[in-house]
Amino acid sequence: MRLVHYVNQFYAGLGGEDAADLGPRVLAGATGPGRLLQQLLGADHQIVATVVCGDNYAASDPSVSAELLGMARAEGAELLIAGPAFGSGRYGLVCARLVAAAQAAGLPAVASMHPDNPGIGEAGAAPVVAAGAVARQMRPTLERLAAAVAKLATGAPLTAADGRVGAAARIGRLVEDRAAKRAVELVVARLAGDRDATEVPVGGFDVVVPAAPVDKAAAAAVALVTEGAVVPFGNPDRLESARATRWLRYPIEGLDGLASGTWESVAGGFATTHANADPNRLLPLDATRELEREGAIGRLHGEFFSTVGNGTTVATAKRFGVEWAAALRKAGVQAAILTAT
Amino acid sequence: MTALRRVVHEVHSVEFGPATGYHEHHLTVGREQVESLFADPALGAVRPRLASPGESIRIITPLDVVEPRSKGRGGGVFPGFLAPVNRKRGLDTHVLRGAAVLAAGYLPRNQEGLIDMSGPAAQLSPFSRTHNVVIEFDPAEGAPLLEAEQAVRRGLLRLAVALADAAVGSAPDAVEELAAPHRPGTPTGGLPRVGVITNLQTQGAFKDVFVYGASMAGSLPTLFDPAEIEDGAVVAGQYGHPALRNPTYLHQNHPVIAELRARDGHDLHFAGVVLCPEPVEQAGKEHVSAHAAWLCQAAGFDAAIVTKEGAGNADNDLGMKVDALEAAGLTAVALYAEMSGPDGTGPPLVAGPRRGAVVSTGNYDQRLTLPAVERALGGTRLRIIDAEATAAIEVPVAMILGGLSPLGAGRLTCRAEPPAVDLEEVA
Repeated sequence: MRLVHYVNQFYAGLGGEDAADLGPRVLAGATGPGRLLQQLLGADHQIVATVVCGDNYAASDPSVSAELLGMARAEGAELLIAGPAFGSGRYGLVCARLVAAAQAAGLPAVASMHPDNPGIGEAGAAPVVAAGAVARQMRPTLERLAAAVAKLATGAPLTAADGRVGAAARIGRLVEDRAAKRAVELVVARLAGDRDATEVPVGGFDVVVPAAPVDKAAAAAVALVTEGAVVPFGNPDRLESARATRWLRYPIEGLDGLASGTWESVAGGFATTHANADPNRLLPLDATRELEREGAIGRLHGEFFSTVGNGTTVATAKRFGVEWAAALRKAGVQAAILTAT
Repeated sequence: MTALRRVVHEVHSVEFGPATGYHEHHLTVGREQVESLFADPALGAVRPRLASPGESIRIITPLDVVEPRSKGRGGGVFPGFLAPVNRKRGLDTHVLRGAAVLAAGYLPRNQEGLIDMSGPAAQLSPFSRTHNVVIEFDPAEGAPLLEAEQAVRRGLLRLAVALADAAVGSAPDAVEELAAPHRPGTPTGGLPRVGVITNLQTQGAFKDVFVYGASMAGSLPTLFDPAEIEDGAVVAGQYGHPALRNPTYLHQNHPVIAELRARDGHDLHFAGVVLCPEPVEQAGKEHVSAHAAWLCQAAGFDAAIVTKEGAGNADNDLGMKVDALEAAGLTAVALYAEMSGPDGTGPPLVAGPRRGAVVSTGNYDQRLTLPAVERALGGTRLRIIDAEATAAIEVPVAMILGGLSPLGAGRLTCRAEPPAVDLEEVA
């Protein structure tokens, strides 16, 4: 079978963070981890081409996945492989989007990443097989991936036995007993010694380790980002007031503050009266401009990002975070102030 | 704490008439009486409507829902609002079971929700199964909306009492004896002492819950008499996330208290109720969690079921409380709605406990397709999805009032399928 492999700029050997803005390109045959993957796959399957893109370029714009998919198809792909992305957020996001786009277009595809990769939710119903957390686990990860590719090539669906992760959908259903009764039964079961009984897995929450302080704040480019749903008055782009599916960017170059009546918050989760009387209190443009004039920061980035946190899923919020980080890195920004509500 | 007798009068049908009355399961609502009970300088027009189970009616932008209850001529329900707190507790409380009064309309911070009286959403809201007196209203011109909101609440409580008053002289369908919780130190014959902690939202105007007529914001957790909750000591005034609200009706019929009573003496002893605020600051959440765990220990609980109201903030309160209880050696179970995205593949909890156990009340993001209806009450347009109120619509469960009831009133849950892979072998 003809395989096309997607890797990022780093695994293609084109450079690290300095090359993360590289646009999409195609390399002939297998490259980087693709070489060992090809060995493990044997003679039945050929990696005919490797599609490559810089992480910032690919992660900051969801439409790039269609472009990457088009390149893979142009190489005659019969099956698409993406990754392994291990725990890397931007790379994982792109791999997940790419296999989702491929599957939606009828091209079999599989991605490889760690189960905690923040991009994993974007794969939707497309298969993802587990990778280790870091690249040191390359060989066992590729062994698992090669076995999954060989199975997928036969047309068989991938299951948990193949190391499939991320797609164990939790499906809502009506049951006989109301939740209050089930809670009492659960308490009684736990008191009787069944300490593992639960309807939802407990624990496993991310602990976000703060990044190191900015080296020289006076030289840093700083961006303002918010989940407080700050938008131009009248909400021309129709940002949701709850359960966001997207985020928006607005220019603030030449503005010293956000005037009431020109900007507003459309957030549904808190009383917006005070925020709308002075939108600077939600997105502190006035104070940040002062810091810029005083030289306390290098420069304020020329646009801000906005979405609404109210009722937004963890999976979606993680994706926004990865996209924001990619877009800000691409713009040469070193620090961001995230105002939350 | 107090014993209470619930004197139940079932309502099987409802209509408007010249005067309020109750006869053989039929409730007549006097229109003029409704108008006089809602008379208030902060309110303009008040339009009572009716909606019964099975009708092709959608109630949009619902606010609070109240079960009609009365203690007879001397009054006594809704202490802090309609009755003094310092009165004789317990005794008989008449209940119009199967009826509800509710308000519907625009108010700030009222996240738009709906109740369908028929169709697929009808099995998700507790208020699709009640005969509802729906109050549409206009705030008086120039009246502050907070005053309009307070006037609507007073009107709803008065109407709930007036309707139940009509049944006080009728022979009841059932009389239910509700014993007080067992005091600490009472011999249990080896059964565990299990109580419930109910967190109440305390986020200011339009997002507050009232205990004896006042917000619980700034309070410490307190042990509370469940007989007083039956009599309306807890009144809702918060209008966030429709599916994650606890309307007054569900406090009056607190599902976890009911289920604990149902098992009392069989495999547990009902140990009591603790009410808690949901502070908006981290330090407050920590104080309240620590104090709640201490209070449950002091009250001799072996285990507690913990409930919340709302999402985000409330999820943190719930998780911290469960962790604090378990750290103190109690067994804890929390009720959470999941937020795993429309396809159910995202992480189910935004913030949750690190130990203990969780019951799922369903997935906030799961999509429902609802057919068009003949009539809508409460408004003409669902702005949040930009649709006519009567139209066929696709909505998340999040919009169904009480659809993910944090007090455990609903029968939704979520199950993983296929089973998740064993991650140990990946490391």
